[in-house]
Amino acid sequence: MAASVKRPRLSQWNFLGGLAGWLWLAIVIVPIYWIVITSLKVSGDYYSTNPLVPPTSPTLENYRFVLENDFVRYFTNSTIVTLGAVLPAVLMSFMAGYAIIRGGAASRFLRGVNGLFLMGLAIPLQAVIIPIYLIIIKIQMYDTLGAIILPSLAFAIPLSVLVLSNFIRDVPKELFESMRMDGATEWGTLWRLAFPLTRPALVTVTIYQGLTVWNGFVLPLILTQSPEQRTLPLALWEFQGQYSVNIPAVLASVVLTTLPILTLYVIGRRQLLSGLTAGFGK
Amino acid sequence: MKRRNFLTLSAGTAAGAALAACGSSGPADISTGGKAGGASYWTLSGPPGESVRQGAVDRYNKANPDNQIKLNLFQNEAYKDKLKTAFGAGQQPTVVWGWGGGGLKSYVEAGQVDDLTDWFAQNAPVKDRLFPSSFGPATINGKIYAMPAETVQPIVLFYNKEVFDQLKVSPPQSWGEIMDLVPKFNAAKIAPFSLGGQSRWTNMMWLEFLFDRIGGQSVFGDIFEGKANAWSNPAAIDALTKTQELIKANGFVNGFNSITADSNADQALLYRGKAAMMLHGSWSYGIQLAEGGKFVKDGKLGYMNFPGVDGGKGDPNDTVGNAGQYLSISSNATPEAKETAKKFFSSLLDDTEQADWIKTGGVPIIKGADAKLAASPDADFLKFVYGVASNAKVFAQSWDQALSPTAAETLLDNIAKLFTQSIGPQQFADNMNAVIGK
Amino acid sequence: MTIAPPLAPAPVETAPPGSKLAGGSGSVSWMAWPALIAFTLFGLVPLVGVFLLSFTEWNISGAVKPAGLDSWRTVLADPDLLHSLWVTFLIMAFSWLVQTPLSILIGVFLASHQRYRAVLAVLYFIPLLLSQAAISITYKALLDPNFGLGASLGWEFLQQDWLGDPVLALGVVVFVVSWQFIPFHSLIYQGGVRQIPTSMYEAAQIDGAGRIRQFFSITLPQLKYTIITSSTLMVVGSLTFFDLIWVLTAGGPGDATSALAVEMYQRGFKANLMGPASAIAVILVLCGLVLALGLRRLGGRNQADSQLEGV
Repeated sequence: MAASVKRPRLSQWNFLGGLAGWLWLAIVIVPIYWIVITSLKVSGDYYSTNPLVPPTSPTLENYRFVLENDFVRYFTNSTIVTLGAVLPAVLMSFMAGYAIIRGGAASRFLRGVNGLFLMGLAIPLQAVIIPIYLIIIKIQMYDTLGAIILPSLAFAIPLSVLVLSNFIRDVPKELFESMRMDGATEWGTLWRLAFPLTRPALVTVTIYQGLTVWNGFVLPLILTQSPEQRTLPLALWEFQGQYSVNIPAVLASVVLTTLPILTLYVIGRRQLLSGLTAGFGK
Repeated sequence: MKRRNFLTLSAGTAAGAALAACGSSGPADISTGGKAGGASYWTLSGPPGESVRQGAVDRYNKANPDNQIKLNLFQNEAYKDKLKTAFGAGQQPTVVWGWGGGGLKSYVEAGQVDDLTDWFAQNAPVKDRLFPSSFGPATINGKIYAMPAETVQPIVLFYNKEVFDQLKVSPPQSWGEIMDLVPKFNAAKIAPFSLGGQSRWTNMMWLEFLFDRIGGQSVFGDIFEGKANAWSNPAAIDALTKTQELIKANGFVNGFNSITADSNADQALLYRGKAAMMLHGSWSYGIQLAEGGKFVKDGKLGYMNFPGVDGGKGDPNDTVGNAGQYLSISSNATPEAKETAKKFFSSLLDDTEQADWIKTGGVPIIKGADAKLAASPDADFLKFVYGVASNAKVFAQSWDQALSPTAAETLLDNIAKLFTQSIGPQQFADNMNAVIGK
Repeated sequence: MTIAPPLAPAPVETAPPGSKLAGGSGSVSWMAWPALIAFTLFGLVPLVGVFLLSFTEWNISGAVKPAGLDSWRTVLADPDLLHSLWVTFLIMAFSWLVQTPLSILIGVFLASHQRYRAVLAVLYFIPLLLSQAAISITYKALLDPNFGLGASLGWEFLQQDWLGDPVLALGVVVFVVSWQFIPFHSLIYQGGVRQIPTSMYEAAQIDGAGRIRQFFSITLPQLKYTIITSSTLMVVGSLTFFDLIWVLTAGGPGDATSALAVEMYQRGFKANLMGPASAIAVILVLCGLVLALGLRRLGGRNQADSQLEGV
């Protein structure tokens, strides 16, 4: 079942896909090109030059400005918050999804739990932010990274449980049965059978929730206040004045934010894809 | 068991202030970082004000090592949400930065900010050096609830002198002249007016001036006081009609509803000569100075107060905008923190802070500040602003800040619809009458 | 407030009742606890708070006053609610309709192992990493009628009143959502396609099936579960889509793009009407629940036969 064995000769018959692929490249690349060249402009030149023409004398001033503004700390904070929230959230959701699928038929409790998670799918964060704020203050975590991690973790759970339980449900019962025959415990079955088979879904959900937390704005805004705890989305403030935005500086910061993750993606792409194709056909 | 926990927690949620009061040492301790006399102060980050605010706090803290002000800065839009959540949870800072008016009123009605009337009476020197007009938005039901601070920011009609010279026309002295200029500029393929219409409050400035120039201050005054059907005042309908006439005559730049003010695209249209005129806050001067190349330095930027409307009842010397910015003291702060806050208030707008504001292109709300303006490279504009502010018999507050948050949101919504012409003047008035006094 | 009972019959397909699980359900129940505790503290408890708030009047700074069903009456009688439900539905439907076919096509395209496609895949990935603020600044700048893309290239059709026209503004929202998320969904599909055994295509070729027929008779059916996963994320995600709409259009022009989450925020945080805002939040939660149950049904059962032939 290794991914590399199955190399469908898709390239031959996939004309439409190719068309869509190249067209999409154009759509994706124009805004990104604009972001990069604009980040090299002087803010005073921004409106006096053609937006799609690179600056005649590119400047790295914006980048220097961004780096001097504690960029590294914000980046570290964002990384801690994202990993700290998403990894436990996905693992907990995986366990819960497993329990719901394996035990739901016999247990009212688990069906109820499943219902609760379904209700959590569409909670608008802005509606519950005041209660969350109060709880964070009560447990004395205000203005710490943990204050961002805990609610982010909780909010990642419902959708993760939904997607993961859908996947676990599709694991053929025969496999569970044979695990049981071999005398495996549920805990063992969870890790040795369900985990590898659910890997594509686990990877998908981790990326999805990771991006949500990485770009999250409301929780860091409300639950922290000191610059030491700031995450990247808040750090863009440095370049937003009271009445106006320093567009080139914001974009320089966007480029700097994106580059490390993009590098990670380039390096880890193969693993990511094999994660997405592990398990069996679905 | 679980059920009860839910209920207590939810009730606590609901009555945030009550819950916070149960806390051991009150709300100040999360934000002041320790010392008993310390006070927290939340305000806006970013240029042009951040460094001035930071400087004022630093100087105060240096002079008062025992009762410090702890400053936290937030970006404008983010600040509004942050502050609202804090109020909702009863965790507001000791010193609350704000815009006065309707927002302040809702805090006053909820008993969240202290009455400073007596303090001002006992500290007459603090009060007497400030512009009297700056106390308008700080005064609710005859009592003063906020310390006016920072700068005065009237709305100004900016124009591009170069474009006017090209077409050999002069700046409009009346509404009639504005309407006459519109076809001339359009014929020359120059937009008569730039407008960042997507930001909504930019459109509102037009209504603020037209209401005042046509019907005098009482038109909005009646609305403010909550008189029934005040939006249906004939002067109001006339002003709304005139606004839509200007839109229909292509008075505003093409696609103005897609232009945002915070990206400065509206101001770029003016200094790039793509638009002839623009109604904007006085702070726009600093932005055009920084981003418009030599536009301002070469004296191409013109500015004037909004002209009168022929036959209108309003005084063309009146103006609208921000008469100041406002600092209030939270009622639930400790007495020590309140004392610190008041001490901090007395230290504000010292000579250094005044000079700092002038450097940013702002006019501090201090009587006689004009004497200090002469030395600035931007003296002409600053003196103009000082003149507008001190000559105006009425310095009206921006509507979205004067009204309650509930009414203001409906207003901005309907203004957007009026400017996209999806509703007419009558419909606008009806929609707005429905939220009068709310 | 116990919430479980009314929701108990959530149609979870589970292990066949006949099969006796080792140790019974008791041995797996504990695995649900960590997630349950985390979610209860920061999801459920605040949600109960919101539910209670919907029966009160609260302007955030003042005291909370019980108001019975007032907020519900206000919200349910307001044509704005229907309008924002409609807008939410439009955004959901159109972003699904745009994203799904494109993501599948691109996913299939990327699935083949050629170096240049790997490079493309990296480029596609970038929009996913951008924060809402970055996206809004970029698109507002590119769509600016005077300084944007249209003016730069001199192309008339790009010089529209993008954010000022109700229909166009909705289109812009859908486009930008798709722009950001298609890369993610094509990544999922890429993974899905690579799992389809080559032998199936070989067999089809022997049978003389054309490429298009292969796509419809093999690729698409084999992607069924991937489609469900990706659609769930799209559809449920679009319900709470707030940030992007807010920074792009703020619900405007007028209320043309005022989806439920935007409407809720405007009433709560802008107009200080927490009662009605909480009622809208409860409606949103219910929408999410209904959608999830619907999607579950779509996922369709009969797993045994749809499943095994692929292995």
